[in-house]
Amino acid sequence: MRVHFYGRLADAFGTETEVEISEPCSIAQVRERLAIKYPRDAELLGNRRVRACVDDSIVPDGHLVQPDESIDFIPPVSGG
Amino acid sequence: MNVVARLETGTLDPAAVLNELMQAVSTDGAVVSFVGIARGQARGGEAVDRLALEHHPRLTLDSLERIATDAAARFAVNHVLVVHRCGEIAAGEPIVFAGAASAHRRAAFEAADYLMDRLKTEAVFWKREEGPAIRNWIEPTDSDYADRARWE
Repeated sequence: MRVHFYGRLADAFGTETEVEISEPCSIAQVRERLAIKYPRDAELLGNRRVRACVDDSIVPDGHLVQPDESIDFIPPVSGG
Repeated sequence: MNVVARLETGTLDPAAVLNELMQAVSTDGAVVSFVGIARGQARGGEAVDRLALEHHPRLTLDSLERIATDAAARFAVNHVLVVHRCGEIAAGEPIVFAGAASAHRRAAFEAADYLMDRLKTEAVFWKREEGPAIRNWIEPTDSDYADRARWE
């Protein structure tokens, strides 16, 4: 599964990475896998204000994603 | 009703954008516009040379369009025009234009105020200020969220 990062998350993790999953799993489980992959910056992804976005919609942590989908993790936004 | 929201990858000329809004006005009696400018100083007082505004390939323009459309639906305005830059912006340069036209002034003032409160907290950008001694990600402040909450 392809995972994209934005803003300060991209500083820590790069703009994208791959998470190996073979069956549907929740956003929370993807966060856990990423925390294992990036232990030094794990707390960044645990922040509840970092939202997950699938198919251009914000989804809750319980949302199930398929192995062929991609996830965008987005930190708080600010324009103006 | 005329609602326009644009993501600008180049520079932003506020006078040209205001002129664009003025050209669209026909029977309206008021135009209100706001221009946001990249500050040359961080909250801590450090010098800022530039802002980097990262954006999402689809969500960013969607958010600008949603905010502009909501303003048009909420206030008695006939035109809403939002132009927001992305990429690298030097201190002192305009970042955003938010304008509205209405029959009477109050609706246009309120729409511009509303547009900026929503843009500050919901427009999909990630903003970083950079200077000789700093590289800070900027997120909405409590005051930004309180300003946004005024409209709920």
